[in-house]
Amino acid sequence: MRNDGLSITHSHVGPVCVVTLDGRIDSTNADDLMVHLKGLIDAGEKNVLVDLGAVLYLTSAAFRVLLVATDEAERNAARLALCSVIGQVRELFEMGGLVDAFTILGSREEALAQLD
Amino acid sequence: MRSIELMVHNDATGSARVRETLDHFAAEHGIDGKPLIQLQVVLDEIISNISKYGWSDGGVHEFRVRITLADNVLAIEITDDGQPYDPRSAPPPPSPGPGGRRRPGGVGLHLVRQLVDGFDYKRVGRHNHVTLTKRCVADAGAATGNPDEERRT
Repeated sequence: MRNDGLSITHSHVGPVCVVTLDGRIDSTNADDLMVHLKGLIDAGEKNVLVDLGAVLYLTSAAFRVLLVATDEAERNAARLALCSVIGQVRELFEMGGLVDAFTILGSREEALAQLD
Repeated sequence: MRSIELMVHNDATGSARVRETLDHFAAEHGIDGKPLIQLQVVLDEIISNISKYGWSDGGVHEFRVRITLADNVLAIEITDDGQPYDPRSAPPPPSPGPGGRRRPGGVGLHLVRQLVDGFDYKRVGRHNHVTLTKRCVADAGAATGNPDEERRT
């Protein structure tokens, strides 16, 4: 495990910018995620897909960032969607009452098919 | 009974140190993945809450975290000399606003309430004492318990 607990990478698949998160998202690194997502939106990305399939867990600091980034995307005529929200990560979304607060699109493949 | 105690600062290093300490403690005692992950979420919420709101003077403060394992119950006690605050009293997250838009806020302690088996608070003198407990299957002889491994199984 990396010291900061989270790896953030992104790549392009057609018109979609896929952000892959790997590790844990908590109060110690949520700001890094905000900077990364805001940077993509500011750079003009219109379809941002955040893949949570390799996330071990996330805390309210991460939910805050995802909510703020979703708003930020909308203000820039872009959209931010999530995919691979599974297992314990999905349970945390459910416990937080946050499943309906985001666009959640199944697996990465399913999400890309819908966004393409 | 096995326990470990550490003093942490009210900044991001505090949360990171507690996270690493709990990981090591759990691995050492063979605590299985899901309770550990849930406790990591709980600790991040509680520690970051104390760090952000415990003191209003903007200064550096220290507080104590003690992790104890006894009879398959992991207990975490946090003691700070910040302003009095009972985290159990936090209101539930607000309902979505007009247009169904969900606002950030209130989610952390709402998660904590659901993730622990016990959530106690008392104010003693000038200190807040928060105790969180969670049942977990511990096996002192096991080498598992690292959530990174758990994730891949």
